[in-house]
Amino acid sequence: MAPSTLSYARTEVDGKIVVGVGDLVVCNDPAALLVTYALGSCIGVTVYDPVAKVGGLLHFMLPSADLNKDKAAANPAMFGDSGIPLLFKACYEKGAKKERLIVCAAGGAEVLADDGHFKIGSRNRTLVRKIFWKNNILIAGDETGGSNSRTLSMRMDDGTAIVRTQGSERVLWPT
Amino acid sequence: MANMNDILSGLDGLAALPQTVLRITSMLGTGKASASDLEQVARNDEALTLTILRCANSAAYGRPGCAFTLRQSIARLGNSTMLKIVLEQKTSAMFAGAGAAYGLQRGALWRSAVGGAIAAEALARRANFDSPDLAFLCALLRDIGKLAFDAFFGPEYLGLVERHLRPDRTFVDAERAAFGFDHAQLGAELAARWRLPERIAESITFHHNPPAAAPAHDVLFDIVHAADIIGLWAGLAIGCDGMQYKLAEHVRVGLDLSRPVAEELIACTWDNLRQTESIMDQATPQRVTA
Repeated sequence: MAPSTLSYARTEVDGKIVVGVGDLVVCNDPAALLVTYALGSCIGVTVYDPVAKVGGLLHFMLPSADLNKDKAAANPAMFGDSGIPLLFKACYEKGAKKERLIVCAAGGAEVLADDGHFKIGSRNRTLVRKIFWKNNILIAGDETGGSNSRTLSMRMDDGTAIVRTQGSERVLWPT
Repeated sequence: MANMNDILSGLDGLAALPQTVLRITSMLGTGKASASDLEQVARNDEALTLTILRCANSAAYGRPGCAFTLRQSIARLGNSTMLKIVLEQKTSAMFAGAGAAYGLQRGALWRSAVGGAIAAEALARRANFDSPDLAFLCALLRDIGKLAFDAFFGPEYLGLVERHLRPDRTFVDAERAAFGFDHAQLGAELAARWRLPERIAESITFHHNPPAAAPAHDVLFDIVHAADIIGLWAGLAIGCDGMQYKLAEHVRVGLDLSRPVAEELIACTWDNLRQTESIMDQATPQRVTA
């Protein structure tokens, strides 16, 4: 079974595909809306190819698969450094091209007064920046940090990526 | 503004646990009930009887597949596991439909309850705490106060708290500013009305602010508090309250929590929760082929 298509996502009646924690969904249905709720320290990453109209959404929880190789093998979307490459690979398999991909990210919040002991959200944010910088990919829009919960969604007809937090809404792409 | 009594008195669904549960928790709380006494009450509840038999015959409790009677099963499980089973089964329905007041999707509060409970059990084992089942149970029930706020205020709740939110203020501080009490205190009061053992009610009271010094300090409270934060990091029940909570310094030190340990706990919690959900058929793996 190809891990890129295994998902615990639930498709809702209005075409909304909900991406759970530690999960990713890639699709090419222009009627679909990909959405992930409750991004705290986790990070949601969207990618979209406007020509192929292929895109995906990853909701990863921890930065590095080095923590537990077995868990990473079973659930690569749990970690940023295994989930992000898998997200891209799954998009390429559906016809997306790297040079056309639009990438957005949201999440990476922290609990209050962490005092540097854990910094789960911060480490997730660093991983995202590092992995895209190393691969020469610009992040088109992002909203990370703070301590608020976020919801990230992407329309599959045009790649519009939206982040919602505490009643407000912001379009990450197009800007 | 409504006080605790107004809120709890107005809740039909939450006001009391079913009689079977009340009687069993009360009997278990005294520590004097025999397996025979408990059997007399439990056998009136078919679903509960089945759950007890299934757990006692599972690999987790030794010889799987043996045909234990209900009485033997109760004796085999022991008091704290019985309490865990009874309350887990009976509170799941209460949690399942709640959470809208906190901006949560349906089922998210129950996932958080179970996820936190899994984390607490793991923390308890790591700390050599004498009753991991009790830690599980306390963490499972830690947010019952959210159920009460949710049922009483519904969607109006957020507006009432929102004006008291500050970047450096915890969410429970904002709740106290809005209502004079927070969901932890409200939950403890609800637990008292359910006639749960006092230590469970206290663990609910202190799950965001565990006391650091004797005589109030209790490792159980520390474990439940840490489990709540592990649950947040695992992405469970992050609603309008976001990550606006703090990990108490004495808990970090006392439980020897480092970043690698926390990350391992987060991963294990998420993994075990997904397995639990898969068994309970709450999340069915499916191929997304769109």
